[in-house]
Amino acid sequence: MKPAPFEYVRPSSVAEAVATLEAHGGMARVLAGGQSLVPMLGMRLMRPSAVVDINGLDAELGQIEARGAETTIGALVRYSEAEASPVIAERLPLLRTAIRYIGDRQVRNRGTLCGAVAQSDPTGEVALVALTLGATVVAQGPGGVRELAADGFFVGSYANALAPEEMITGLRFGVVPARGAFFERGRKHNDFALLSLAVAATPEPDGSWRDVRVGMGGINDTPVLARAAAARLEGQRWDEAALAEAAQLALEDADPPEDVRASAEYRAHLLPIHLRRLLLSLVEEPRHG
Amino acid sequence: MSSVEVAEQQAPSLIGSSVPRKEDDRLLQGDGRFTDDVEPARSLHMAVGRCPFPHARIESIEAAEAAAMPGVHQVLTGVEVEARTEPISVLRPVPGAADLPFYALASEVCVFEGQPVVSVVAESRQLAEDAVEAIWIDYEPLAHVSDPIAALAPEAPVLHPERMDSNLLASNPQGRGEPEKRLAEAVVVVEDSFRIGRVSPLPMEPRAVVAEWRPGARELIAHVSTQVPHLVRMQLAESLRLGESEVRVVTGDVGGGFGLKLGLYPEDLLACLHAIELRRPVKWTEDRVEHFRASTHAREAVHDFRIAADAEGRFLAMTDTYVTDLGGQNSPFGSAQLSSIVFTGPYRVEDATVERRVAVTNKTPIGAYRGYGQPEVNFARELLVDRLARRLGRDPLELRLQNMLSEEELPWKNAVGALYDSGDYGRCLRMVAERIDYGGLRAAGRGPRPDGRYVGVGFTSFVERTGYASARFLANRGSRFGAHESVTLRANRSGGIDLYTGVSTFGQSNETAFAQICAEVHGIDYAAVRVHAGDTGATPLNTGAFASRTLIAGSGAVREAAAALRAKTLRIAAARLELEPDALEIAGDVVRCREQPQRAIGLAEIHVAAITGQGIPGDEEPGLEVTAHFEPSAAAFAYGSAAAVVAVDAETGEFEIERFVMAHDSGRIVNPRAVEGQVRGALAQGFGAALSEELRYEEDSGQLLNGTMLDYFVPTASDLPPIELLHTEVPSPVTPFGVRGVGETGTIPPGASIANAVCDALAEFGVEISSLPITPERVWRALREASNGGEGLEG
Repeated sequence: MKPAPFEYVRPSSVAEAVATLEAHGGMARVLAGGQSLVPMLGMRLMRPSAVVDINGLDAELGQIEARGAETTIGALVRYSEAEASPVIAERLPLLRTAIRYIGDRQVRNRGTLCGAVAQSDPTGEVALVALTLGATVVAQGPGGVRELAADGFFVGSYANALAPEEMITGLRFGVVPARGAFFERGRKHNDFALLSLAVAATPEPDGSWRDVRVGMGGINDTPVLARAAAARLEGQRWDEAALAEAAQLALEDADPPEDVRASAEYRAHLLPIHLRRLLLSLVEEPRHG
Repeated sequence: MSSVEVAEQQAPSLIGSSVPRKEDDRLLQGDGRFTDDVEPARSLHMAVGRCPFPHARIESIEAAEAAAMPGVHQVLTGVEVEARTEPISVLRPVPGAADLPFYALASEVCVFEGQPVVSVVAESRQLAEDAVEAIWIDYEPLAHVSDPIAALAPEAPVLHPERMDSNLLASNPQGRGEPEKRLAEAVVVVEDSFRIGRVSPLPMEPRAVVAEWRPGARELIAHVSTQVPHLVRMQLAESLRLGESEVRVVTGDVGGGFGLKLGLYPEDLLACLHAIELRRPVKWTEDRVEHFRASTHAREAVHDFRIAADAEGRFLAMTDTYVTDLGGQNSPFGSAQLSSIVFTGPYRVEDATVERRVAVTNKTPIGAYRGYGQPEVNFARELLVDRLARRLGRDPLELRLQNMLSEEELPWKNAVGALYDSGDYGRCLRMVAERIDYGGLRAAGRGPRPDGRYVGVGFTSFVERTGYASARFLANRGSRFGAHESVTLRANRSGGIDLYTGVSTFGQSNETAFAQICAEVHGIDYAAVRVHAGDTGATPLNTGAFASRTLIAGSGAVREAAAALRAKTLRIAAARLELEPDALEIAGDVVRCREQPQRAIGLAEIHVAAITGQGIPGDEEPGLEVTAHFEPSAAAFAYGSAAAVVAVDAETGEFEIERFVMAHDSGRIVNPRAVEGQVRGALAQGFGAALSEELRYEEDSGQLLNGTMLDYFVPTASDLPPIELLHTEVPSPVTPFGVRGVGETGTIPPGASIANAVCDALAEFGVEISSLPITPERVWRALREASNGGEGLEG
């Protein structure tokens, strides 16, 4: 479990980091928290020509910025920092809830939110919340800054729309629905999810709900939106029949994998049950998860 | 130090006192010395190339490029290892088994994924791993078989055709009476096939070895992370064709063994061979990816169990035919051998037979693991006891108590001739029932509760063999070690005692317990006893720490040595004080007159007199050192019962263990806090195997699916249910101080008690469980099959 040889580069600016990525023709990897990269290097599952350590770029990448309605999380913001941030608590409570399901304290002290998005694990909590809340991935490459919607960013298991010479510099959230709830089931405490769910919506005074968003993790090769389920609930009052139907409709966007955590069949069985219960908790619980 | 003295003042007898552990000061201060902490100057590093297939023929190995890489010192292949070494020996062979010799590296055919094929030594581990990648090995994959039942089918590929004509390594029937006749007569017979999953013992410290060879001195020093340094020394000498006096095995702190570190592994031998040939120290520390494939696995077995009863619920007969998986080849201890010994449990059964069948498969070799067959058979038997209760409309608690051996019936020889020495089995069961408020739970019903969950209670009762019956018992089974333990006590000039033991320290509190017994018998302060463990160059030749035997045998050796040392100390002091030895006592750091305590002499002064031979009686030999060997008269049977309360979500199969209560008897307890730690630690491993841990193999490729910590679900502290422990303390008549072994107890009850609780909760659905681990998905499948009108046997 020792890495294959690689060049180690510690740039002093994002521009230099991007230049290094370009110079290695897409064969270099960015090191932020290293919680996924370092084990993969050790197991030689990944053999980059260079590791670009951006940990010296705190001034450029270490901030959580609240500007107008937007909240931007820099590429060096650790999970623990976001977890403890009053800005996140106030503006993105669903994200804060989800972070508590990530790894253990040591992992959260080191790992970064943007690193998780770049990793694009199909069970990743941050990716699921980013997708559910319609976040924007901010990336920088040789051609400059690109903004990519989270919806469409995740293109496969551990695969995303980022170009090999690009790096994520931040994750931006806009206004989010008034209520949110998060659910995750693994095989043990802080395990990778065999099923994770994020739901968000805003209740109207007339008892109906708008801006309904339903995200699912561990149920496909990327985190996915349960679009049919959300459509069934949008603008509706959530009576028992509506919730049950929406929960079943979620299966339309699911293609559950089969692995040591659970069979595809069991995941498909659990999905509507836990989605219905989670949506119910949104109705019953006036605050975020 | 001061806390030690306080503890001593509070407790007049050290035995039974929770004195602070000897091991903790260094471990808690980061001053433990594990094998990986050893790195002699000019050390080189080894990496091992392993077979990626479950079964394959090695067609060719191209190593020239790797051998020529900068920083690479040596590459070894199987052909060279076969020429230069002897096969690795088996310490506890399966009775009646064909000999299946194997070398440290495979040369022709590999029989499991992860089997060592090449080894490389280089300036760093990184370079060694680079070189392993540069070795081209051409394999021809062969037909494989992963499942032990499938391995015994006539169509299965025979894995060792040169030695065996099937994959059945051995079959060991035992028992007495006429169970088939009783089964035919019985009013009720319950039977099923129970499948126990394959798990990893998973010590926190993986295996490790550092080998140094001094050619001029002809001395091999092997630092090995092992439970049995003296046995590893024997195996190393045999395989390397050295005399034992040329081999010294040094074992410092060991970060967990659990049965996995019970003898010589190929990598230990390879590091030594490289070190001898290169005349440089060679180091290898196993990484976790290797560990999941190359360190022994455990448990996997299928038990076909039957219980026959009459209309009153009296057990008439039990039979168990079971298959254990050996994996591709032997390990030093092979697959579990204790299921047969305890298969009838704590029950009164005259007619009972058991047959152990050992199957060879293309998987990592199975080795010993905490419990060594006892959790497996307990699961099968205790689930059937509950099914019998349901069939008869009886309460499972009452049915157990009715059939349990009473205190008066002991000692009792069970169907395979094992002697249950003493105890009150029913008391432990009644204690757990009372503690969980069984009456209250039954009155409250099984639910569902307002949250929709069903509530169930599950019991299990067990006996546990600890220690070995005798050297004769071991000789009859071809085991290459004894039933005794050996200890040397040596007085030192500071007035202390150095205690030397070949029992290495891997978390079992042996240093503490030995020092407590030494101080208790001798009279010296606990703080003045220093335990030196695990260096074969300094400690008496012994057996080692496994089978919950250390205290059973070791306490006798410590007792005898301490008594002899005390007697000589008193004789020397008596001469100097001009008193009779009988009038004296040792109290902490002095020898004094019992009646007139002011007539005293420092222990250090006596020690110096003896060590220098100056000022001792003329008829006394100089020196103050005793080695004692002790073999207990029999194995001691520990026992206990447990109860679990679960709440089950019948929609999803998810369940929560709300309470877990266990009452056990480990005989006289030397250190209550250490015992509680042992029981809780073993319970954690028991819960892991019961709930989540399982090594899974892909059927088509035969490859391990979850050989990393990401996918192998070992529980963390957060995953464990609340544990309530109760103890009784019935002394065993067959051991020193009445102790029974305790290190393995906790692995036994979780599986059966939780499964019984889940089945109890879901009784109205007719759910039955027949395999471990009990995952939510399996509970859901069992629910679905029960509702489909099936037999309720989940997949």
